[in-house]
Amino acid sequence: MSPTGESTSPKENLVMEHLVSLTYSEELTPILERYVDALIDGRIVGHKCPSCGRVYVPGKGYCPICVVPTSEADEVEVGDHGTVTGFTIVTPVAYYGQTETEPFVYASVLLDGSDSNLGGQDIVGVPHDQVRSGMRVRAVWKPKDRRSGSGVSNRGWGSVSSVIDAFEWTGEPDMDRAKYEEHIF
Amino acid sequence: MAATDIAVVGYAQTPSVRKARESEVQLLVPIVSKALERAGLDRREVGFTCAGSCDYLTGGPFAFVSNLEAAGAWPPISESHVEMDGAWALYEAWVRLQHGDIDTALVFGSGKSSPSKPDEMWAQQLDPYYLAPLGVDPASLAGIQARALLDSGKATERDFAEVVVRNRHNAKDNPNAQVSGDSSVDALLAAPYVRAPLRKHDLPPISDGAVAVVLARGDRARALCERPAWIRGLDHRIEVHQPGMRDLTTSTSTTLAARKAGFDGGPLDVIELSSTFSPQELILREALGIDADANVNPSGGALAANPVMATGLIRIVEVAQRIVEGNARRGLAHATGGQLLQHNLVCLMEGD
Repeated sequence: MSPTGESTSPKENLVMEHLVSLTYSEELTPILERYVDALIDGRIVGHKCPSCGRVYVPGKGYCPICVVPTSEADEVEVGDHGTVTGFTIVTPVAYYGQTETEPFVYASVLLDGSDSNLGGQDIVGVPHDQVRSGMRVRAVWKPKDRRSGSGVSNRGWGSVSSVIDAFEWTGEPDMDRAKYEEHIF
Repeated sequence: MAATDIAVVGYAQTPSVRKARESEVQLLVPIVSKALERAGLDRREVGFTCAGSCDYLTGGPFAFVSNLEAAGAWPPISESHVEMDGAWALYEAWVRLQHGDIDTALVFGSGKSSPSKPDEMWAQQLDPYYLAPLGVDPASLAGIQARALLDSGKATERDFAEVVVRNRHNAKDNPNAQVSGDSSVDALLAAPYVRAPLRKHDLPPISDGAVAVVLARGDRARALCERPAWIRGLDHRIEVHQPGMRDLTTSTSTTLAARKAGFDGGPLDVIELSSTFSPQELILREALGIDADANVNPSGGALAANPVMATGLIRIVEVAQRIVEGNARRGLAHATGGQLLQHNLVCLMEGD
């Protein structure tokens, strides 16, 4: 201490590392198990609300708009063609866990027959500056022997990354905006 | 309007299970609907919605957002969430109703403990400098509390076992209980310690489950329910976080919350306590001044079913249900949060 009572030791920030690792393990819900089985088979299934008719991919076991339960009996197959409803081009920064190094597309795809988007899809076959809302795309499936359910979890609705590599432009004319503007997320 | 003019008019809960295959929202959807049905209320008429859950427990950031789908995602609703037991969601809804501009509220609490390793995960609720890095788990902390209680001379291991025997016996009549049955104190005392002086039966089960409640005030409550369970007082108090800085053999925050909730020590037909470890029931009984022959935990309590984040709100439902069904006139429900009864809520309810 100095005569005036101030500390004479150099000021340092005290830093304490506290790395936390938490383990969670659970089985897929029965609905998602059926969803994965279908995906590996090359089919995309969802639940159709018996009240309002909206189709959710994958099924949630209920309709969040009507709050009614849905079940296997409400399962429907949707197309693997769809429409880009929204997108962004991500320029990756090197945060912990980021494996991408080059700019990539992160698009929402509304599959034909579905009312819920598949989020976070890559769009291939066109330069990034030509990706646009309304463009028609189709799934680029992995070969059957390389498909798995590893991309699907109870916490991430709709991930198909372990069965579908990307979506590619079909060359069709763009979808009329009025047909998808209620489904932009 | 008076704060005492708000009542529980509807409720529903899932059975408590070790592992539910359904998602947490799937657990909620049917019981939210059932609670509203019981109250005869359309979900579009609900004035305010509040939920309690824990994203750490679920293991998914923003898991609480999808839980809200159980209340209906469209059209937009007025809602809030607490990262606490649903009993505190009920507290927020009760405060909100006192604004006087709405008549009804929906409250729910839900938790799936099955995906996580609770011992590993709950260490993270402790202070990040001294306790969390030690990774001290809830049962170890409860063991320290139990030891303090033994050392104080206020209780014996036999007393702990008697609490378990009675709760498990009561749980036999509770279709939602996970652990129930008849056992003897001597048989329980023959079991090995898991965290001395606690044995496995002194610990709560690991549970998945959910509960929903409908609140209404004034004439609306009377119109929706023949015999509303009026909330006569509701209060919660918290103590210092560091377990070493308080007397673990008492619960002064419970005593204070009960007094502020208007509990005068008068007769209670039913008492439901969130004592997740058996010694805590003894601590809470003393803190509340409850007679030895009082009707404590007729449901079997948290030792029979402990869906964390729903456990406290279930206590309120167990009391409210007995009032609504005409089997009790006055009851008290207790909820707790944090470690070792750090934070306590007391809800005093009466029938007309």
